[in-house]
Amino acid sequence: MIWTSFLHAACLTLCAPPLQDAVVVEQPQEPEAPKAQPAVAPVVPVVPAADLRLHAERVYTGTGEILKNALIEVRDGKISSVRPGRSAPEGVLQVKAVTAGMIDLSARLHSNFNSVEQSTEVQPHLDVAGSVDLHDKRFARLARTGVTTVLVNPLDRNVIGGRGVALKTHGPMEVEARRLNGRPILRGAIGSEPSAANHAAFGRPTDFYSRRPTTRMGVEWEWRKAFFDAVAAKRLPEKDFPGAEDLREALAGKRTVMIQAWTTQDIRTAVYLDEEMQREGFGDLDLVIDAGAEAWKEPGILVRNSTIVVLPPHTAGGRVGSDGAFLAWNTASLLVGEGLTVCLSAHGAGPGSATLGHQAGFAMRGGLSFDQALAAVTSAPASVLGLSERLGTVHEGMDADLALWNGRPFAATSRVTGVLIDGVIVVDPR
Amino acid sequence: MIQQSTRLLQRIAQTHLALTLGLLGCSFLLSAQAEAGEKYAVRAGIVHTLAGEAIPNGVIVIEGGRITAVGSADDVKIPWDAEVLDVPHLEAYPGFVEAHTSSGMDRPNESVSVAPFLNVRDSIDPVAFYFEDCLRSGITTVNVQQGNACIIGAVGMVVKPHGMTVEEMLVRPRAGLKISAAPKSGMSRATQAQTLRGAFTGLRLHLEDLVQQKRTGNDFSRREALYQGRDLAGERGKGRAMMSKGWTVEGLELVPRGEVDEKQEPLLDLVEGRVPAWIYCGAPMDVRLALEIASDNGFLERTILVLDDSCWKAADLIAEAGVSVVLDSTLVRTEMDPKTEEEEEVFIPGVFKDKGIPFALSSRNSTTESLWFQAAMCVAHGFTRAEALAAVTTTPANILGLEGEVGCLCPGAAGNVLLTSGDPLSVTSFVEYVVIDGNLVYDRSVDIRTQHLLEGVVPEGTESHAEEPEVEEDTRKKAGDEGGSR
Repeated sequence: MIWTSFLHAACLTLCAPPLQDAVVVEQPQEPEAPKAQPAVAPVVPVVPAADLRLHAERVYTGTGEILKNALIEVRDGKISSVRPGRSAPEGVLQVKAVTAGMIDLSARLHSNFNSVEQSTEVQPHLDVAGSVDLHDKRFARLARTGVTTVLVNPLDRNVIGGRGVALKTHGPMEVEARRLNGRPILRGAIGSEPSAANHAAFGRPTDFYSRRPTTRMGVEWEWRKAFFDAVAAKRLPEKDFPGAEDLREALAGKRTVMIQAWTTQDIRTAVYLDEEMQREGFGDLDLVIDAGAEAWKEPGILVRNSTIVVLPPHTAGGRVGSDGAFLAWNTASLLVGEGLTVCLSAHGAGPGSATLGHQAGFAMRGGLSFDQALAAVTSAPASVLGLSERLGTVHEGMDADLALWNGRPFAATSRVTGVLIDGVIVVDPR
Repeated sequence: MIQQSTRLLQRIAQTHLALTLGLLGCSFLLSAQAEAGEKYAVRAGIVHTLAGEAIPNGVIVIEGGRITAVGSADDVKIPWDAEVLDVPHLEAYPGFVEAHTSSGMDRPNESVSVAPFLNVRDSIDPVAFYFEDCLRSGITTVNVQQGNACIIGAVGMVVKPHGMTVEEMLVRPRAGLKISAAPKSGMSRATQAQTLRGAFTGLRLHLEDLVQQKRTGNDFSRREALYQGRDLAGERGKGRAMMSKGWTVEGLELVPRGEVDEKQEPLLDLVEGRVPAWIYCGAPMDVRLALEIASDNGFLERTILVLDDSCWKAADLIAEAGVSVVLDSTLVRTEMDPKTEEEEEVFIPGVFKDKGIPFALSSRNSTTESLWFQAAMCVAHGFTRAEALAAVTTTPANILGLEGEVGCLCPGAAGNVLLTSGDPLSVTSFVEYVVIDGNLVYDRSVDIRTQHLLEGVVPEGTESHAEEPEVEEDTRKKAGDEGGSR
């Protein structure tokens, strides 16, 4: 309960301003094939979605409640009412269980090397939205697993890769129309990936990878230098550089800094970076560790800094990622027990693999309670995105993003059989 | 003979050495072996026999490694001298059966294209972590076969995932020959098909040649057999008419079986229907070739197809041929309509269930997506629990020819029992104990590798960062590092 109230507190602080520029979401009457869309989307007047009602034996609201035999009404893409203790009216869509649509903050739907500008290591001013391919089938596949919102980040080949973009997995075929303007998120990485394949220039530099950094130390140095330069540029305008303002906003806590750090040494580096900025009086980063597999080793430093952790998918042997990190299965449970906010991720796994729903189940195998697991794939990531007022729970006024289950959510013996996004039936369970 | 037994002794010695080293890291493997006639009993909260109703407060009595009685504690008397595992808080299930795998052996693919003379016996590693994981995931019977990258591969064997040596693990020694209808790397489909057909033509020519030699009084094959030290006594010294539903060689009864080239002999066993064939199909189009080879050479009835996930499209052909299949570990396949580019998911076991084809599931990995998870996926896609459990117990047992021997808790079956903390298909249940042949072989409470995976606990004294300075207490909740294999 302490944890839930923490979440609520987080929502209140995080998501106040951006809601005004919330996007007008186009409401197609039914899912459309991507190719049916014109190359440039015309300005479409808002079409109200057909009103929809569905009846569920159980609605897991995400606020600790389970509503039995609830009738959910959807109007204009929003949940207009959730009323428990109702019998199913004739002809209404009936399902066993409903949760909020799941949110994956590390869906890895970037278009690989096209998503990251590598001419310099620090690109905080770039927006990954410019490289998102909405025709990519992976969006629809994720939608079919019950993931309704994803954060798309650049590939981790830069130290600071740019700004991520939160998107619904179904909707208009224009990034700007589909993007969710919550809290801005700056994405970067610590570890071996940002320097992978780089080498020093011996003799004549002959290829693109003749560049810095070439070590973990170098990666860490680039982070500190970027923030230091950004602060310095404020006093010395001639030292200004693209992205300096973005970095200053991050230091001022106006945008979240999401850093990929798999191993305990990289998690330390990220937290120490934040603490150094505080010591120097530069600011205080709002830090989210992505793929923090080894967070279980030293939860203390995360607690000290109130860091949010996005965990990578659980694996059979425990080893995950290119840095050979070890994810113990009780990590989510341990961190939540320490009062930390934890989100789970399936790294974009589509149908037929270990989906985000399965990851929630695996975290329960490691000791997480059902409510905590539900939060880790719905309300917790919604709060990171600053969108708690719209996403992550099932009650009146929220976006009608729902995962419909044929049994108890996250059990290995049940699955997502239907999906609603903005009130549109993306996957019909019938 | 002498050479062979020396080699065997060497192998046993090596295995023992490896095992002694291995045991340092796997103390949970309880290694007492029951003597014949030794008695063991399990009393569990619920006994799921999978051959009838579940029995509350049930008792399983195992004598000499076999189940002798199963029933309610009120009806079944536990022998006074039996060792009893009394676990009223747990549920008993039969051990799961892995119908086909290439895990647990060293390098599963032989580069020689046609190599029926090989035997996985020489490659199975009793201390492989794979077998440990089998116990954790409740698998008590494993059919180990050569990998899929072959034309004609080795002879496989069925083992239990427990034992000091391959001999101790043995359940069934000659569990069939591995064949692949899908091209191995570097081969075209045509070359693969030609080589496959050619292997059987080669066998026929060899046998005809032997008969011809006998008829002309040429004793070259006999001298060759003696030169190689092959056994020509007993049955091996006698000739036998060829028993095959495909083709036969007239006069083979003239040739003592010991004189048949050792390289060809396993193939002759296959054609005579003495061992089953496990034919891998990597694409729907391979199914036709697999069935053609099997029916032309008379072993269709003893053929099991090992299918890639794409092969659901050939389900009609498979149903018509009446063979059983082992499904790929990928149970959901995304197919795209080439015209509309719309994708949809096909649940593969559902296709085979609808066509009435007997199928066994296979594990995707040895822990998280092991057989229990695959069966749970089937329930998630609309199977009944009984249907899902059958695909990891009784059906694979039937496919392996071990019907009534494994995969159920019934009198006469091997004493393989899982004790689970709850429904084995639940993600929050655990296998707490495993009994194989009436021996307690796994106890989760002392399984340090599971503790490591689940809780990050490292056994005392195995940290490799002992020289590193201690981190302050408050920053370090769990003692120890994970072992420094990074």
